[in-house]
Amino acid sequence: MNALKILKVRSQQSCNGCELCVFEAQRQLQKVGLEGSLVRIFKNKSEENKRLEFYVELDPHIHSLDVEKICNICPKQVFEISEEEADGFTI
Amino acid sequence: MDLLSKKVLTINLNKKSYEVANFNDLHKYVGGVGLGLKLLHVHEEKDPLILSIGPLNGFFPFASKTSIVLNDEGVVEDLYMGGSLSTRMTFTGLDAIVFLGGLETPTVVSITNSSVEFNLELEQIHSLGLPGKRSTIEAAGEKVMLDKEFTSEGYILENKMKNKNMAGLVITGTEAYTPAHFSKYQEAYKTVLARSNDLTLGASNKPSCSGCPLGCEKSRYGEIGGNVLVHSLVACQFAEKVYADINTTFSCLNTLGYNYTHEDLENLPKLIEETLKAIG
Repeated sequence: MNALKILKVRSQQSCNGCELCVFEAQRQLQKVGLEGSLVRIFKNKSEENKRLEFYVELDPHIHSLDVEKICNICPKQVFEISEEEADGFTI
Repeated sequence: MDLLSKKVLTINLNKKSYEVANFNDLHKYVGGVGLGLKLLHVHEEKDPLILSIGPLNGFFPFASKTSIVLNDEGVVEDLYMGGSLSTRMTFTGLDAIVFLGGLETPTVVSITNSSVEFNLELEQIHSLGLPGKRSTIEAAGEKVMLDKEFTSEGYILENKMKNKNMAGLVITGTEAYTPAHFSKYQEAYKTVLARSNDLTLGASNKPSCSGCPLGCEKSRYGEIGGNVLVHSLVACQFAEKVYADINTTFSCLNTLGYNYTHEDLENLPKLIEETLKAIG
């Protein structure tokens, strides 16, 4: 069985909202835009929070892309990659 | 994405009506402040507020600002806001949005691609548009705030939006593009991104503008004035060393399929100067 590279969000609070990961994922799909992106960034700043916070959402299909490139383009090391044994059924 | 014309959304706030049109004759103004000043000239009798982006916004790193051009009591001003606004505008498919006249009562204007809605329920501003694909500007407080974080220099935009009864603006972009020369585009993107060290500011722990990895100390406050070529593209002034280089800029535009020549870019400052002189 092959090892599958799994992209995970390691440090959500470090995200600065630059969206380089979003655009990297989209470029791998040969497009520029936000529609249909397998990485999405949401932002929130509640009355209690002084800092604008970002939330990263990964689509399960992200593993069809080169996740190392997505991980490496982040300037804040928000992501990590772990290796798991592929069971042949994983997307 | 039309590479030979500029797509402009013109909103008549008095009538709550709008129209979208492509203009071939605006192509030579490239975008940003150049395009904004020309549109200010065209509509100068109707107190226009113009938001415009350049051809590199959304496509290349550090091209992260939106140009805002207006007449502030007889003085033509060009402001630049960061955050996510320029990428959202790019993905609406519009090059510029022109607001003419004013609204009767405080209203939130919500733009999704080329359609416009006028919303009187000001407290609903954060439910308008699509999460992750929108930029939200609130103008009800002392300072105009983009996504509750980014703002603009001084009180110029604040005064203009208040005079127009624009309590807020939500812009959502859902379009996606495939650059004309995709593999060359990828290479050009990597080359530009690798030039982070050429920026005149370093990284910090502040929120970033979309498309810029730095999250610099100045991102929150926007800019006023500066290099007209850089601000026609519309890149951040701290990336002037990258985008004031005509060869880099020409190469980036070429990968997207634009037919601008070196002469077009070299002549742009003069064209902008002439446009500025023509404004009464």
